[in-house]
Amino acid sequence: MRKVWALGMCLVMGMQVGLWADEPYKLQIPPGLPPLKVPQDNPLTAKKVELGRQLYFDPRLSRDNTISCASCHDPTKGWSNGERFATGVRGQVGGRSAPTIINAAYNRFQFWDGRAGSLEEQALGPIQNPIEMDMTLEEVVAKLNKIEGYRRQFREVFGTDVTADGIAKAIAAFERTILSGGAPYDRYKAGDKNALSPAAVRGMKLFFGKANCAACHSGPNFTDNGFHNLGVGWNNKDPDLGRYLVTKQEGDKGAFKTPTLREIARTAPYMHDGSHKTLEDVVRFYNKGGNPNPYLDEEIFPLDLTDQEIQDLVTFLKEGLSSPNYPMVKPPQLPK
Amino acid sequence: MRRCTRILLSWACLLALTTSLQAQDQKKEKSASEQQKKPAAAKPAEKPAADSKVKTRDLVINLYNPCGVAVQPDTGHVYISGSGYQRILRFTPPKENQMPTIAEVINGFPKDVYGKGPKYEIGPLGLVFVSKNLLAVGGGGNPDGKEVLWFFDVSQIKDQPIDTKAAKHVAGPIPKSEKTNRGEGNFYALAYDGKAIYITTNGDDTKGWIARCPINNGTPGKLELFIATKPQVETTDAPVGITLSPDGKLVVGQAGEINVPEDSLLCFYNIQTGKLELKLETPLYDIVALAYHPKSKTLYALDFAWMAPDKGGLFRLDVTTGQQPSLKVTKVLSLDKPTAMAFAPDGTLYITLIGTAKEGDKYKPGKLIEVTGLE
Ligand code: HEC
Ligand code: HEC
Repeated sequence: MRKVWALGMCLVMGMQVGLWADEPYKLQIPPGLPPLKVPQDNPLTAKKVELGRQLYFDPRLSRDNTISCASCHDPTKGWSNGERFATGVRGQVGGRSAPTIINAAYNRFQFWDGRAGSLEEQALGPIQNPIEMDMTLEEVVAKLNKIEGYRRQFREVFGTDVTADGIAKAIAAFERTILSGGAPYDRYKAGDKNALSPAAVRGMKLFFGKANCAACHSGPNFTDNGFHNLGVGWNNKDPDLGRYLVTKQEGDKGAFKTPTLREIARTAPYMHDGSHKTLEDVVRFYNKGGNPNPYLDEEIFPLDLTDQEIQDLVTFLKEGLSSPNYPMVKPPQLPK
Repeated sequence: MRRCTRILLSWACLLALTTSLQAQDQKKEKSASEQQKKPAAAKPAEKPAADSKVKTRDLVINLYNPCGVAVQPDTGHVYISGSGYQRILRFTPPKENQMPTIAEVINGFPKDVYGKGPKYEIGPLGLVFVSKNLLAVGGGGNPDGKEVLWFFDVSQIKDQPIDTKAAKHVAGPIPKSEKTNRGEGNFYALAYDGKAIYITTNGDDTKGWIARCPINNGTPGKLELFIATKPQVETTDAPVGITLSPDGKLVVGQAGEINVPEDSLLCFYNIQTGKLELKLETPLYDIVALAYHPKSKTLYALDFAWMAPDKGGLFRLDVTTGQQPSLKVTKVLSLDKPTAMAFAPDGTLYITLIGTAKEGDKYKPGKLIEVTGLE
């Protein structure tokens, strides 16, 4: 009984902190995307999103002040980095390519192998990763607490000094605002038959039909949130086992998360190891049935697409899924 | 036949009946402590009420990947897809002064391997009776585009098991076409409304087809594609569990991805138009079977939970329709990889489950169990 009462008090107090500090952020969900589920303990507020934006672009979150989240997830490069692999502090290179964070708010899992669930859970990972930003949480918290501008904002938003929990929540809140929808495909689907060129319409029909893409790239965000083996990188000496590393289920060997295809024209190179330079490469890879191996997904098989069909499919991906309202965000003034 | 009966009886049924009471007690203790360990906040598993009247009993053990079950009208005989050995078995429940029996009745189905690890050897899958003696069997052993629906007159089965060649009718296959880019296969589960059989299939994952086979005067017509589920629900394919609601809707459990947790959908389709009328997200992993209690009309589901078998079991689904439809999910039993279920008219529920093999086991881990006391 007493516990319940104490909990009630916390809730009331929490609400008050929220009320006096901050206003709800007015999130515009672009057409074609479903409502966004926001965790109850991290509501979107205007000041929190702004704080998250600063943290996202701030290289001081890394050991040598050179790398920010935006170094690898750059708004001018489709919120990815345009390179095959990601380069962290001291020029260290990892083994996987940087996925876009566009619409990551809708992901059931984060990372190519799905080892994190929520954006909050994910955000502290790169800061502590020795080849990405290479800080401990104590270090980054102490470093940011010395920056008056951050201390003030954390107090306003969370009612505390800088904390690791607050960093994660603010960055996650900012990421939830990076959405892409309202693409020509969405307008076409909503009834505007002129929204897509004839080639893109042909490509769209292939995407949802003969080319079998929608078996996995399905729903408003073009992903089933599942994991599949296409055989990408399977012939490497020590192939990346992907989802298997998390689940230890034999059938998950070499399976990676199905990525969104929105804004795909901007995020080359492609696949978890950045091994495909162009969308045409990708489609040709699917057309030959991926890279056969004992764990190849059943939905990957030779497609018998003609050259014309391959071009049409690429046209659909480029034209149909690129939004005129691309979520461009400028780096903010960083606090001192 | 005689020998086969004896082997299965002594290995399975008699053993099951003599030990099942013990087994059941052990199981009860285990599941009680399992339940205690579960965090109270676990989403689906409001734990079974302590005073639950629900009782389970192992009827047949040593089954290899049983994947389907149907109760014959009138006789109450229980037919089982012994999928791992590609055959159909018949269990006659014990009656006063009458021992139960188990017999292999149909064999010779083709075989396939499902999954990439774990892997399951499978043959025939879903079962349903369309008349007193006509048993429909959904195939699972043929490749996509070659799979068929068999019909057997079980009154013709005497001492010896019959072969699939003795099927009275065969419907299908559903080959590759404009509508299905690989053709359909794995006829998981069947539901029959007196006019047609509805079949969940697995082939074209961009569509997630439910097929339909009309039955006219006891004779099957052409097996055809009926509902493309995925374009309607958008995200989730893999329709597997299927049944008919008391008000005549097609109720479908869409299992989603086997390696994604809590992604199953419960969907209600209009049986005339095939239109999706209601879609509910569930906290279940892989809904593989659905059935309404014949008396209370309560809806039950089996969750196979491919990636986390300890989460699997029998669940009660309470659907509230109206302005804001909602779903309450209550765990009734923990079960190890359950695959199919069928109610007898008195409300006894039969469930097949695959189980988990342990080192040194003498028997295959599959079972047919009986559940009584459901509301
Ligand atoms: C050095 C480059 C680098 C930096 C810096 C970096 N990331 Fe990443 N990020 C990656 C790579 C590479 C992956 C994929 C890793 C994997 O899947 O194992 C990734 C994955 C992600 C994902 C998962 C997206 C998805 O679809 O799975 C999110 C979200 C993300 N990063 C956000 C951030 C945030 C927030 C920061 C700053 C705190 C950050 N990243 C800093 C390279 C980087
Ligand atoms: C079996 C499921 C499946 C099917 C079918 C499928 N994809 Fe993919 N797709 C994936 C997965 C999983 C990845 C990531 C694989 C990896 O990196 O190893 C991916 C990656 C991609 C990428 C690269 C995205 C990025 O950000 O790097 C593109 C582009 C793509 N797919 C387009 C298509 C097209 C076009 C089709 C149809 C011809 C298709 N996919 C069919 C599952 C699928």
